[in-house]
Amino acid sequence: MQDKNIIQVRNLSKNFGHLEVLKDISIDFKEKEVVSIIGPSGGGKSTFLRCLNLLEKPTSGSILFDGTDLCAKGVDINKQRERIGMVFQHFNLFNNMNVMRNLTVAPVKIKKMEKEEAEAKAMDLLKRLGLEDKADYYPSQLSGGQKQRIAIMRSLMMDPDVMLFDEPTSALDPEMIGEVLDVMKQLAKSGMTMIIVTHEMRFAREVSSRVLFLDGGKVDEDATAKEFFTHPKSPRLISFLDKVL
Amino acid sequence: MSFFEQILALLVRYYPYFLDGVKNTLIISALSVVLGLFSGTLMAVMRMGRIKPLKWIAVAYIEFIRGTPLMVQLMFIFYGLPMIGITFPDVSFIPNFSRFMAGVVAMSMNSCAYIAEVIRSGIQAVDVGQMEAARSIGFKSGESMRLVILPQAVKNILPALGNEFVTVIKESSIVSVIGISDLMYGTNGVIAITYRSLPALAIAAIMYFIMTFIGSRLIAILEKRMNHAR
Repeated sequence: MQDKNIIQVRNLSKNFGHLEVLKDISIDFKEKEVVSIIGPSGGGKSTFLRCLNLLEKPTSGSILFDGTDLCAKGVDINKQRERIGMVFQHFNLFNNMNVMRNLTVAPVKIKKMEKEEAEAKAMDLLKRLGLEDKADYYPSQLSGGQKQRIAIMRSLMMDPDVMLFDEPTSALDPEMIGEVLDVMKQLAKSGMTMIIVTHEMRFAREVSSRVLFLDGGKVDEDATAKEFFTHPKSPRLISFLDKVL
Repeated sequence: MSFFEQILALLVRYYPYFLDGVKNTLIISALSVVLGLFSGTLMAVMRMGRIKPLKWIAVAYIEFIRGTPLMVQLMFIFYGLPMIGITFPDVSFIPNFSRFMAGVVAMSMNSCAYIAEVIRSGIQAVDVGQMEAARSIGFKSGESMRLVILPQAVKNILPALGNEFVTVIKESSIVSVIGISDLMYGTNGVIAITYRSLPALAIAAIMYFIMTFIGSRLIAILEKRMNHAR
């Protein structure tokens, strides 16, 4: 594949007070890549992901998204964020809106899409999930699995170039994890560029093209999924995999 | 004459004093809460905003007002300000307008601080994830506030605002000391005429209670409605 780099991270560091969470990370993500990030808690996985759309402001370094430095002065971050979907551990559907409005509010208000067009598109996505009867429901009336699948659709409504997933299944009951992972698998197959922070080793192995091991604020291993799990090189990763597999 | 008969007799003879007092108490309370709401919203915005000096002013104001007695604040406005040359204008067609204004200003400045805190805590009680989701989908900070955060915050704010109104009704009795003819002032008038303080105070207490009770019932109904509407 000769796909271009969609995200280029250069010398990214992030401190919270005196705590160094990310230490001088440089890494590239190509278009259509599905990259899983695994590692121990507190290793900086979530912080790294949240830096990619500037939910966390890097202490130093730069994030180039499709050639644009997100940290540069004068860059309209809102404009860039439209193209970067984000899925959260706790879903974060808008609690004051029903499912249909959750899906359509951003395309209508930001992209100036016609309301009818947006609703037709949303209905189409809901049908694919088998959730078309939930269009009028509020988030509080849905199960965790339903919320997370709708949260993924909310991001897709903006036709993003990249999707970021921050532990998308960690807050789910075990029997609901499968339905969310299935949606993500389909998304990966459709050619979406995805960066996923996850604890689901099997999913990472099956779906990712590449896996990163983030520990102590550094990328300790960066390999294809197969290589990563069958021939891990970093001693820390070997002991980590011993514990979790 | 039994106590109950004394109350009845006072009511029959002096009810205009009490009713006039109730009317003025309600006017002062309503004005104070409305003015307090506007200034309190502004104060909350200043407090939560990014402009440091405005933030300090807001924090200092809120802490100072909440940490000093309303009585002192009222005296300061009514007696203190004229001494440095600030007076409220008299309006010919409203009797005692300057006195009345001093009371309303003191009450609303006081209410402002409490309402600012009500609004701030109502907004901050909304899960941070809501703001993060709105921002990461591409909404600007103001849009996120308007579309996502405020509609959720209102549900936290309205009931507390109702409680503030009830509190203001009770606290407003203090303006009688600067001669505003509220319910407490009317009651004192009746006592001065009749020397029957116990029944007169009982009437005042019951009237205050009716006002606050109706107020808190209305809030409860409102709260219930909002929970249904989600």
